[in-house]
Amino acid sequence: MNPVLQVEDLKKHFPAQGGRTVHAVNGVSFSIAAGETLGVVGESGSGKSTIGRAVIRLLKPTAGRIRFQGRDITHLPESACRPLRAEMQMVFQDPWSALNPRVRIGDLIAEPLLLHTKSSRSERQDRAEHLARRVRLTTELLTRYPAELSGGQLQRVCIARAIATQPKLIVLDEPTSSLDLSVRAGILELLAELKAETGVAMMFISHDLGTVKLISDRIMVLYLGGMVEYAPAARVFAQPAHPYSQALMSAHLPADPEAVLRRHVLEGEIPSPIALPPGCHFASRCPVAVPACQETAPELRAVHGDAQHQAACLRIAEGANRIPETAHG
Amino acid sequence: MTLLRVEDLHTHFISRDLDNQIRVARALNGVSFALEPGRILGLVGETGAGKSLTATSIMGLLRPPARVVGGRALFEGRDLLAMPEAEVNALRGRDISLVVQSPKSSLDPLTRIGDQLIRIHRAHRKASEKAARERAVEMLASLGIPDPARRMAAWPHELSGGMAQRVLIALALMNAPRLLIADEPTTGLDVTVQAQILDLLRDLVRRTGIGAMIITHDLGVVAHYCDEMAVMYAGAIVESGPVRQVFANPSHPYTANLIGATPERLRLGGPRTVGGPPPNLFRLPEGCAYRDRCPQAGADCATPPPDVALGAGHVARCHRVAA
Repeated sequence: MNPVLQVEDLKKHFPAQGGRTVHAVNGVSFSIAAGETLGVVGESGSGKSTIGRAVIRLLKPTAGRIRFQGRDITHLPESACRPLRAEMQMVFQDPWSALNPRVRIGDLIAEPLLLHTKSSRSERQDRAEHLARRVRLTTELLTRYPAELSGGQLQRVCIARAIATQPKLIVLDEPTSSLDLSVRAGILELLAELKAETGVAMMFISHDLGTVKLISDRIMVLYLGGMVEYAPAARVFAQPAHPYSQALMSAHLPADPEAVLRRHVLEGEIPSPIALPPGCHFASRCPVAVPACQETAPELRAVHGDAQHQAACLRIAEGANRIPETAHG
Repeated sequence: MTLLRVEDLHTHFISRDLDNQIRVARALNGVSFALEPGRILGLVGETGAGKSLTATSIMGLLRPPARVVGGRALFEGRDLLAMPEAEVNALRGRDISLVVQSPKSSLDPLTRIGDQLIRIHRAHRKASEKAARERAVEMLASLGIPDPARRMAAWPHELSGGMAQRVLIALALMNAPRLLIADEPTTGLDVTVQAQILDLLRDLVRRTGIGAMIITHDLGVVAHYCDEMAVMYAGAIVESGPVRQVFANPSHPYTANLIGATPERLRLGGPRTVGGPPPNLFRLPEGCAYRDRCPQAGADCATPPPDVALGAGHVARCHRVAA
């Protein structure tokens, strides 16, 4: 079966002051199948959100190819993208600013139906009620305004809007980051149910490693706009191959005092995406880098012959990619 | 001596509505906890539980309409809430330091960071400009800031989030305080930076024997960096105790629900988590404030719940907990 989304060598550069260029995304390739959740992790400035926006064509890619349900949408004009968005939806981090404060909740949920379907007012109203119940909002909220709802309720409204047109792909950009723990749990449970019910493909962008681990089937680790590792979720956490993934995973604090931490401290600051260093972008901070890393840009390769697990590091082939253990109190 | 002992702290927001009726939001309803030197206490809870308000109440930084209406905050035996303003001023920034949220907006944007460090030092200690400058450079170096002498001349806007947070911690530590209160010290920072900042804080507490209180909503931070924890709900501490013990045996239904909602414990497709907005502080129910959301609530929950001691300093405030 064809994947819902197929991205090849995607690049996105932004112009910066003085004729310089911000290299936000530098050649990433991945695919998402129906019913699959791809987790995208990385620190600020790693290009997570840019990738999310580019794949649903809120941004125009600089280079590469994006195929949605087999169709090349890389250079589709905006007018042709609009009808396509019935099938590809996005949920943003901040539900307070994602919803028009002057529109009632019921109309907000019905809005995608108004834009993308030929349906009567009463049909849309029925459907909005159904969607509200599906995301576990009481239907009396439909006549309220966004300011009267809590953050968790607003994020449910955003999810109801996203699923209204039965899309094949939903890009979720930090959908739970601004929510409290118990509210966040409810949203994650809802997303898991929706995926099981509808088989929608999801791209889940987050810096919260615990959440990504829980909800994702596969994970893509980004550093400075490049993919450093791409593997099944459990594998990335248990056996991260790329030194950056190792450092990132070691900084994750599971909410369990009995979990043993293996700490790898990274020295130095992340290089500027305006003046990217040659070779491996992580080499300047990498504890296991050798001079060759500064010269040759590593490609994504299968780790130990396992095509499911890919990482971009020269030192994996020599078996020298593990950061040595340091004592941690 | 106990470094900080807070007893039955009550803070209300008292205002008048459009009909000129007095409205009272009971934001803190009897907060009590203690912090020993050399220990790290994690104060956790969700939005609106009163975590930050607890810190600002203790530090005497409340602005109207918020007002402390009852309770004591004993710092080394002296009640901060009953002290004349001048004495509190002398303690604040010297013996008690606060690291606030959002480092970028907490630094003076028009002063070089070195001058900010020197200023806070000389405001409280008799030191020459030169001695203060040397101390500031040392402090930046000890917080892992590369090339500290040159960084002294940096402006706040030139710093990354992690650097700004380190400078803020340096400011808090310039006068060698005995109590450090850090309000969400790592929220908004990347995980690798978060780990570095927390390592620094913990090493500092272990090395110098000061007491620290970390206010956070992140149970991962509590699990790995705190010795004791106190869980807040609707302006009261519902459960407190040694971190490992509370995680292993969460006894208040709210704590159990909160820990159960962490990604580590959450089972997608399992029983649903109880979530929801915090109760209305203008109309807090009598008795247990959690009873509307509590799956175990009964008729007796309409009366104030007792603090039940569970051994080794583990306490839960609930009718359903058996000692």
